[in-house]
Amino acid sequence: MSRAKLKGLGIDLPIFPTSTVGSFPKPDYLVEARAKFAKAKIDRKELEELERRATAFWITTQEEIGLDVLVDGEMYRGDMVAYFSELMPGFEQSGLVRSYGNRYYHKPIIVGEVQWPGPMTIGWWRYAQGLTRRPVKGMLTGPYTVMDWSFNEYYPDRRSACLALARAIRREVEVLVEAGAKIIQIDEPALSVRPEELPFAIDAMHLVTDGLPAYFIIHACYGAFDAIYSQMLKLPVDNLDLAISHSTLNLMEMFRRDPFTKDLSLGVLDVHSHQVETPETVRTRIEKGLKLLPKESIWIDPDCGLKTRTIEEARGKLVNMLAAVKALRAESAGN
Amino acid sequence: MELLLANHGSYPRIGDSPGQQRLRRGYAQHERGEITSKEFEAIQTSLIQEIVQEQAEAGLDLVTDGQIRWYDPISHFAGRLDGIKINGLLRFFDTNCYIRQPVVVDQVAWKGPILVEEYRSAQAVSPKPVKVVVTGPYTLGQFSILESSRYRDLPELVVAYTEALMKEVEALAAAGATLIQIDEPSVLQHPRDAGLVKVALTRIASRKGRARLLLATYFGDAAPLYETLQAFPVDALGFDFTYSRVLGDLIARLGSDKAVAFGLVDGRNTRMERTEEILPILHRALPKVKGSPSYLTPSCGLEYLPRDKAQLKLKKMAAVAAELVGRG
Repeated sequence: MSRAKLKGLGIDLPIFPTSTVGSFPKPDYLVEARAKFAKAKIDRKELEELERRATAFWITTQEEIGLDVLVDGEMYRGDMVAYFSELMPGFEQSGLVRSYGNRYYHKPIIVGEVQWPGPMTIGWWRYAQGLTRRPVKGMLTGPYTVMDWSFNEYYPDRRSACLALARAIRREVEVLVEAGAKIIQIDEPALSVRPEELPFAIDAMHLVTDGLPAYFIIHACYGAFDAIYSQMLKLPVDNLDLAISHSTLNLMEMFRRDPFTKDLSLGVLDVHSHQVETPETVRTRIEKGLKLLPKESIWIDPDCGLKTRTIEEARGKLVNMLAAVKALRAESAGN
Repeated sequence: MELLLANHGSYPRIGDSPGQQRLRRGYAQHERGEITSKEFEAIQTSLIQEIVQEQAEAGLDLVTDGQIRWYDPISHFAGRLDGIKINGLLRFFDTNCYIRQPVVVDQVAWKGPILVEEYRSAQAVSPKPVKVVVTGPYTLGQFSILESSRYRDLPELVVAYTEALMKEVEALAAAGATLIQIDEPSVLQHPRDAGLVKVALTRIASRKGRARLLLATYFGDAAPLYETLQAFPVDALGFDFTYSRVLGDLIARLGSDKAVAFGLVDGRNTRMERTEEILPILHRALPKVKGSPSYLTPSCGLEYLPRDKAQLKLKKMAAVAAELVGRG
């Protein structure tokens, strides 16, 4: 069904469409430039020039690897929530809080009504799409995750903060669609942290996607899926992207209980491991998915953003992912 | 009935001023081998001195060392026991904090005191009594990967952790700790395992000597377990009121034989509570609490907040307590 939707949107993808979750490692020159920019040693224009260069590098690299649906690589983002909270009125930055070890970060604080500030991602999407004929995904962080990863001093509760964010994020989706984006991914890594809140996370997703002509993917990379799986099927999206490369979930049992009704992106590369998976390992993971769903419903990608890997590791992993997919496509065509 | 002001456990390690960042700098220097372990520990000690002062100045009756020396609440204990190796990062409940996950590879055994020196050195520089916090055996079990065939399942692993922590609690009581808090947040996610936790605490309580034992629950609604917890062999029960709208009324209605640690100040959100949000709950519930002293505390450890906000939260507790006394 979703394949028909994609066709209707003018997008024709091969069997086992391949994509990535969003972020890629930043080249050294960009890491250095970001540090200099933070110390006001270079200006925004200089930084942006390098961000464009790095984005172009990743578009070319993705084409060379043979990926079907591309991403801009998020060369201009530090953190997936902070990027948006720094642009949106209603947010302030907190003092430093610890994440682990010696890692600290500024957590956003909602201090007023959150508002859409005008396009936040369109410029980068247009730039990336202008470099390739393959579809580039629009990439947004979802309202539940922005809410969960922020302090809230303004809204009376988590639900109202989440729904307010959803209304603002919908505006961004609308302009992405207007600009020509056909595939839009909403990142909701926090989605499953409090199963009792899933109903309003679903309400929020309705506010973000309802009535808009695009193929929506939701990426949720960790958590208690077994507890929330059946409810997740109510999410108004076309594709669920789940991390299964190192998952112990018994998907088979879950799918038997509640038949899966959407497309599934199988996260088959472990982004937290330095080890480059062999094509055989990737194939085994895909075959696990093939036991569960018809091949027409399966997309193939890494289990999360690749930004913490080196460029060589990221490339190596994706090349082997494509090798496995190409072999399966050939066999599938032969059958 | 007496109400004491107590910190919960963890406290922010750094603030935003350069002086408040010395632990972060020291940590990096220590990792690069530019300072010795001894020099790094001296930085930790001076920071602990600073934060116990900060807590005392905010008006607290009971302080903690802020868990400044801990990597996290799980591996700090599990990693110091025999039979366990420490693995990669795992999210700690639904916080943005990560712990290092223990893998049980052999028989779990206590090697020697884990917190005794930490307790002594904090108490030596603190103008107020220091509360000791121990992560409970059930929560340690829930966050562990069981690889060894010595233990068949979680209940058996919890027994093994319990036996190790019995020795730890005995050593802490012998060192003079007067209030020992056992953190069992995981029991709220798995209420059906409450019986397992009760058995564990019964054994731990047998070693507490003259210390008071406080069971701290948080990151979940304790109301459904309230009556069950009343039968636990501890002196006080700690609750996270931010997850429950009914807990205050429940205590007012059913009373409490145990002292209560009222976690009424949100340790996870920077929004500052208004006194009138907290005071009515204390007015209703506190007269029904038989155990004494009870405590007013944050809802959980404060390290999820920036340093300046954490300090303000403690001051808010003091303001609420002053108001409570003022109105009699």
